[in-house]
Amino acid sequence: MFHASLIEQSLITGILAGGLYGLLALGLSLSWGLLRLVNLGHFAIALLGAYLTWWMGTALDIAPWWAGLLIIAAFFIYGIALHWVFMRFGVTEMQSMLITFAFAVIVESTLQFLWTADFRRYETAWGTQSWVVGTLYVPKLSLIAFLVAGALAVATWAWLRYTYVGRALRACAEDAPIATAYGINHRALSFLLSGLCAAYAGVAGVFIALIATLAPSQIWAWVGVVFAVVIIGRLGNPIGALIGGVFIGVCEALTMAVINPSWAPLVSFSVLIAFLLFRPRWI
Amino acid sequence: MLLEIENLVVGYGGAPAIWDIALNVGEREIVSVIGPNGAGKSTLINTIAGLLKPERGTLRLGGVDLGRLAPHLVCRQGVALVPEGRRLFAGMTVEENLEIGCYRPEARKVRAHSLERVYELFPVLQERRQQLSGTLSGGQQQMVAIGRAMMAEPRLLLLDEPSLGLAPAIVGEMFGAIERIQSEGVAILLVEQNVAQAMEIADRAYVLEEGRIVATGLPEELLSQSRIKEAYLGL
Amino acid sequence: MDLTRDRIRVIAGLVVVAALLLIVPATSIAPYYIAFLYLIFFWISMATSWTILSGFAGYWSFGHAAFFGTGVYAAATLATKFDWPFLWTIPAAGLLAAALGTGIGWLVFRLQRLRGELFALITISVTFVVAAIISNTPIDGGSGVYLISVSMPELFGSQPGTIYTLGLALCLMTMVITYGVYRSRMGLGLFAIHDDEDVAEVKGVPTFRYKLGAIALASGIAGAVGSVYSINVSYVTVGETFEITTIMYPVVMSIFGGSRHWLGPALGAIIVTIALYGFPAGPEAALARGGVALGLILVVLLLPDGVMPSIMRVWRRVAPRSLVPIPALPEPLIPAPRAEEAALAARHATVLECKDVVKTFGGVQALKGVTLDVRQGEILGLVGPNGSGKSTLINVITGHFRLDRGSINFAGTAIGHLPAHQVARLGIARSYQIPRPFNRLTVLDNVALAASFGDGHGEDEARRMAAHWLGYTGLARKAFDYPPALNLHERKFLELARGLAARPRVLLLDEVLSGLNNTEVDEALTLIHDIRDRGTTIIFVEHLMRAVNQVSDRIAVLNGGALIALGDPKAVMSDSEVVSVYLGKAHAS
Repeated sequence: MFHASLIEQSLITGILAGGLYGLLALGLSLSWGLLRLVNLGHFAIALLGAYLTWWMGTALDIAPWWAGLLIIAAFFIYGIALHWVFMRFGVTEMQSMLITFAFAVIVESTLQFLWTADFRRYETAWGTQSWVVGTLYVPKLSLIAFLVAGALAVATWAWLRYTYVGRALRACAEDAPIATAYGINHRALSFLLSGLCAAYAGVAGVFIALIATLAPSQIWAWVGVVFAVVIIGRLGNPIGALIGGVFIGVCEALTMAVINPSWAPLVSFSVLIAFLLFRPRWI
Repeated sequence: MLLEIENLVVGYGGAPAIWDIALNVGEREIVSVIGPNGAGKSTLINTIAGLLKPERGTLRLGGVDLGRLAPHLVCRQGVALVPEGRRLFAGMTVEENLEIGCYRPEARKVRAHSLERVYELFPVLQERRQQLSGTLSGGQQQMVAIGRAMMAEPRLLLLDEPSLGLAPAIVGEMFGAIERIQSEGVAILLVEQNVAQAMEIADRAYVLEEGRIVATGLPEELLSQSRIKEAYLGL
Repeated sequence: MDLTRDRIRVIAGLVVVAALLLIVPATSIAPYYIAFLYLIFFWISMATSWTILSGFAGYWSFGHAAFFGTGVYAAATLATKFDWPFLWTIPAAGLLAAALGTGIGWLVFRLQRLRGELFALITISVTFVVAAIISNTPIDGGSGVYLISVSMPELFGSQPGTIYTLGLALCLMTMVITYGVYRSRMGLGLFAIHDDEDVAEVKGVPTFRYKLGAIALASGIAGAVGSVYSINVSYVTVGETFEITTIMYPVVMSIFGGSRHWLGPALGAIIVTIALYGFPAGPEAALARGGVALGLILVVLLLPDGVMPSIMRVWRRVAPRSLVPIPALPEPLIPAPRAEEAALAARHATVLECKDVVKTFGGVQALKGVTLDVRQGEILGLVGPNGSGKSTLINVITGHFRLDRGSINFAGTAIGHLPAHQVARLGIARSYQIPRPFNRLTVLDNVALAASFGDGHGEDEARRMAAHWLGYTGLARKAFDYPPALNLHERKFLELARGLAARPRVLLLDEVLSGLNNTEVDEALTLIHDIRDRGTTIIFVEHLMRAVNQVSDRIAVLNGGALIALGDPKAVMSDSEVVSVYLGKAHAS
């Protein structure tokens, strides 16, 4: 009934999609886990990054790699600015959720105003290319995205584990006053982290532009997926984000293949609800 | 005198928690501050460590006024805190906790040497270096907390109720370690509810009661006075 | 809810306004305005219902659209597939949505970790799940549902007239319900839950039940509103029903207007709708959406309580509220000891008994089998070094923690496994070492809450009793201030007043003297003696030993989770084991 290769192809698609999810979840997992701020605007700026990549590529003829560098730098600064606003107003976790939610709506409506709700596709040379392994297709760009996600996840994990600054960040998340008593400049580090998380969103945005179809409403489509990934992978755990991403990606792909594509969005939200209800101590 | 405190007043939103505090600690001295709960002992120690800012008075370490420094810069002057209740970074391993201790630049340089020293002091920590600190027993956690502070290469070690929640046998071991630390040239300010051990180990002591220092002197003198019995047992 | 004069006045006022608005369609006003007014009624209902759970109780929900959408599709399905007469679909939709809301609440509210952002996350998720289910099943199937052929009574000679009337009726109902909750005991309880849910529970508020009630009301109203919406647009699609605006606007309107006030969301709804209506559909609509979102950010940052409190401040200056009269001198305000209690006290009868109480936290035994009896009418001092288990014992007695082993008997009832609010009702109250008042309730309401839920008074009676207790503890002048404005001494006495207002049989005082100066300590001790003389048994946890010795009839000493001495103060404090615990073995002999 089911082609064996259909399942295998779905697995490949799912795993690679998981890479992109992991990339997107990385920044959110770090900011929620280490800064204790819930950034609902994370996907919004990732999508903004995607639109900018597409626009710079199509209207200004700038190659995605250069566009990406500009975007990452700009987003890093945006991350610092956002955190400055949060600090200046003494924003609580719940307030940060409301503010970033509103920000996401602003980004979405700006995107719609500038580029309409029509779907956009960034056509590049590698966009349609795949490597063929037996009967399976491995889209090139998706694989690259997956590898970049993997590299970033491992690099971040290593940074958090083996460097002084990384460990300091983890210490601040656990007990900021005692970390301060040992010489850690909590304030400065939190700015750094906020910028970094935004930069990660930028990286994700570049790959979204290259791989996926763009539409402003995509922001809300990602919400469930990325939150599910972050929670499964545990807050503040970079490798967990990648593994969670792959898990969700595979679940979705199999659902699409075996049941029906339109049920796919249900998967991530259901996993999220299940985790929250039955394992609330997990995070 | 390494640590000199004069006329110190520290308040919590309005009413001062401690006031008129005059206290000093010399190089290589162990000074104990005892007093019942609520007397203000933690307030005093947290202020010296930089977690709280004094409203009035001076707080000098080796001549430098700590009261004016930003909280994260106090450690650099050579102060290290072993907080009440240990307050380890539970999600991090023993070794990672220790390495946070030597975060300040001068301590980082001698990291390997400091780590060796801590493991010599507390061999059981070396066995469990990769274990998550939150899963250790109370006594072992206290060792990690003291080790973490030693990694900062302090001139002055602050201990806030180190015997809290520990079994008596372990308390004895721990105070033994504290004496060894003193012999390595570190001055120690110890705040305790456990009068016996605190007095046994101290060179000098202060009695803190309801926010003020009510007595000071050599341990034997203080113990013979009825002051302490009054403070603790209300008799 | 007590039907006092001013409550009736407000409700009558709402009805009058509604009646006036009812006249509008009968005039020759352009249909455009009628539709616009309906839109305002729609958003007032949505925003106001949202605030019952989220603004009052503090459980911010991003899932109002889920309940709305359930109502929309319930009505659409019943009307088109089951041929129900349209008017009957309204209550049906409301009930179905309420069922969904209550179901979610029942699952989620019992898990303490799922508050705040996690609750918000769950509500977003539920919204998308509901949307996906509706979209993928025959309920909608992706093609939308047409209600054009559904028949409807025609009021004022037209369908829009009927819709207007229905929208107005629902709006009036929503306002009356929300006002009713706001002015009732339940409202007071919800506000307390918002500020500090654990303390509310210990003071006697049935938090789980109230939260379920709030979510049932919020979701039910949204569902009913949804059914009218469905007939209004006559073609419903998943995309439009579950739009981001449906999720966002109730939140914005409520917060902007003032989510803790029953009129706030309505105010916000009117302002935002009028502002938005200047931008018809098209690219400008997207910008308008962004503008509203920007407004939300500004409000959260600059005016976190919304517009309403500022209005209220002006109103209070214009129409000062009548102060509840407070007697100048404390005549016998507090009733004499109940006869049975006096008799029991004479016999040294036991009022509270702990037998072999064990409480473990993740491997560590905080209480190792404590057996302790408390006699009616005594002051029992409870002392011990830090970490000896005193706080844990208090938390177990009040029901904040459940027993692991052993039993606790209070006046004949086993209370070891009861939820905290029931223990409070039975007559046990406590004060907190570090005061935990409800920071956004007035000092008076803080005490009134305890009187209402601990002693079972109606809301107005509770406020009168609260005024008496404030007088007794010397806080009368601060009745209408908010706790953050009080100094430590005043906040401690507020804790005391809250404990007393519940008129408990047993009052647990947790380090009520810490941080007080000598004069204040003496004042407090006099009060404590007086409280006992009026019939309350007191368990007095303290570190200030001279105070404990002065005031206690007996002293219990805990160390390392076990009881090591119990008896007369002098005897206990000279007991060798006790002395060695505090001063070391050398002194014991």
